[in-house]
Amino acid sequence: MKYRLLVFAVIVSLLLTACGGTVASQKADITMMMWGDPAELEVWNKIVEDFHTANPNITVKVDVSDWDSYWTKLKTLLSAGTPPDVFAMDAPLYLDYQSRGVLLNLQPYLDRNPDLLKGVYPQTLEAYKTPDGMFGVPRDFQTVALFYNKDMFDSAGVAYPTADWTYDDLRNAAKQLTKDSNGDGKIDQFGYSLDLWDFEPGMSEIIWAYGGDLISADHTKTLVGEPKARQAFQFLHDMMFIDKSIPDTNTLSEYGDDAFLAGVAAMTAIGHWVVPGYAEVNFKWDVAPMPKGPAGQATSVNSAGFVVAKDSKSPDASFEFLKYVLSEPAQKRLAELGFACPVLKSVAESDAFLKQSTPIDHKVFLDSLAFARMKPVFKGYDEWSSAIGDGMATIWTGEAELDPTLDEVVKSADEVLANNQ
Amino acid sequence: MEYGLKPLGREKIWLWALLTPTLIGLLFGALGSVIATVLLSFAKWDLLTPPTWAGIVNYVNLFNDDKLLLSLTNTLKFTALYVPGVVVISLFVAVLMNRKIRGVSLFRTAYFLPAVTSAVATALVWNMIYGRDTGILNFILERFGLPPVCWLCTENAMYAVVIVNIWGAIGEGMIIFLAGLTAIPREYYEAAEMDGANGFHQFFRITLPLVTPSIFFQTLIATINAFQAYDYIYMLTRRGQGDSSVPVVVFSIYRNAWNFFNYGGASAQAIELTAIVAVLMAFYFWLERRYVVYE
Repeated sequence: MKYRLLVFAVIVSLLLTACGGTVASQKADITMMMWGDPAELEVWNKIVEDFHTANPNITVKVDVSDWDSYWTKLKTLLSAGTPPDVFAMDAPLYLDYQSRGVLLNLQPYLDRNPDLLKGVYPQTLEAYKTPDGMFGVPRDFQTVALFYNKDMFDSAGVAYPTADWTYDDLRNAAKQLTKDSNGDGKIDQFGYSLDLWDFEPGMSEIIWAYGGDLISADHTKTLVGEPKARQAFQFLHDMMFIDKSIPDTNTLSEYGDDAFLAGVAAMTAIGHWVVPGYAEVNFKWDVAPMPKGPAGQATSVNSAGFVVAKDSKSPDASFEFLKYVLSEPAQKRLAELGFACPVLKSVAESDAFLKQSTPIDHKVFLDSLAFARMKPVFKGYDEWSSAIGDGMATIWTGEAELDPTLDEVVKSADEVLANNQ
Repeated sequence: MEYGLKPLGREKIWLWALLTPTLIGLLFGALGSVIATVLLSFAKWDLLTPPTWAGIVNYVNLFNDDKLLLSLTNTLKFTALYVPGVVVISLFVAVLMNRKIRGVSLFRTAYFLPAVTSAVATALVWNMIYGRDTGILNFILERFGLPPVCWLCTENAMYAVVIVNIWGAIGEGMIIFLAGLTAIPREYYEAAEMDGANGFHQFFRITLPLVTPSIFFQTLIATINAFQAYDYIYMLTRRGQGDSSVPVVVFSIYRNAWNFFNYGGASAQAIELTAIVAVLMAFYFWLERRYVVYE
């Protein structure tokens, strides 16, 4: 019954949206849809207010949903032919939409505004480039860094992580930081913690540092079963099941899937997005770059961006809004939110980002770009990474052996790639 | 079996007039989507580009794809454990609640509470109960010197979620059985008592045969609910990236469609689910004709 009501409500609302917004005039009304939480909505409302002051002819309606509802709603609106004009995009999923022809090619607009992307970190633009041009622009980015609990390091007498750390240093420190303080045979402080769901954060970084890779350049072959990637997995597996310095995922789920935030893990690898949440904890913490492996230092970079719907009735106004998102005032507002790194270099390297209210070394996230590699972007990314993440889940609970399971996983991941060609 | 009053003459017009809004909703909302689902199950569709004819590929995949087979086995296993569990336990609870004991309305409320509480919230509480190192259940086990159990690990997760789902459904089952129990005339029991039948005999010779209509109804509802079960299961077994360690068919349908752009495959799964439920319903109605006692 509830379901039927929902379907009915959707149909009615679709009819209503279809009737509205057909009036074309000088004034343009555009809808901007994104995922986010109330804090983000507040900042985006401010950005939109500023935009209205600068462009009195354009009215932007902001529509924010949580991550899961966002994609469901977006797909429904796109297939109904009534998409929002501007909407947020997660870089790895970009080609899922671009390849299906629902996005507007922004290249002609970008060619007319050659200076627009000049101040933007080039690493964050890569994901949006296609042979036909760019169909989206980044708004902020994330690199993964090593977060550490200073209080735990201090009380164990272990030196803080440095930019020269190797994975062996990490493993040694993690061993020293792993403790069973009440002697009941259960570990109650772990040296390191990773959520081990997706490649980012924590897995792709170590695979690259070991000289391995995730997927072939043409996106037809999964490479996580190759010897070097396998070594990296083995390293994490040893830390988890020999040193016991990483909680297995069953244990991790008891700490709300974030042992660092729960105050039971001394280190974790994660992106800047946790900073506002971590600001609330009652221990001292800071960040360091990801450690070096046999093949050097590596981390991942991923971005969130904006795209314009191909069916948008106000593409010009929509592009004006994107231009504004990439301007200094808007990027400063995003920096104040403290969630991600601004893509505009001048803002990222200014006090607006570096001297945020949470007093940690924010520069680490920018410096990491020097050795960062892009989170893969291709059609079918979600299904492919789920095939690997789901398949490996029993390894990280300790229920399955690493090597044979990895062989199976690679096989099923390759099948997904073949189906998405 | 005819219940209620029959509409006569002019009343029939009113009957249809009042039913029309619901029927229109059903026609466009339910029937439309059923037809669309059947058609889509023969197509390859990603929602964003026009669907293309795929023949029976989606149906062949139902039997070839390990993940789809796993979700089907899980749903069937879940149903086999859940349906008898709900029927037996809620009948038992209803019989207890049908006695004149002090504070019976308090107990009835307590048993019904899960039905009106958000499944997501209660699932979080169950997570705390089931936790391996921090859970209350293992704390109790260890107090009695028993080894801790990993309740939500892959090998136990199915039973853990069945328990939670049964717990959540007892309230509604109890209401249905209570209605059935109160409809049994007291004289039957009085007569049985005079003939010297004890409580055990009374239950199996009077109560059980006379609540068979309620048992039939409750089994039907429980089966449909079992095939649609999703919220507790997902909340208790979810893993990163929207995965679940006990993937059931409804979960798999959602994920294939909305996460993996495979609306054709998801539609075929929906048809598969409907077909299984339909076969079970036919079987239940066959059983009804043979065993259900209507006064």
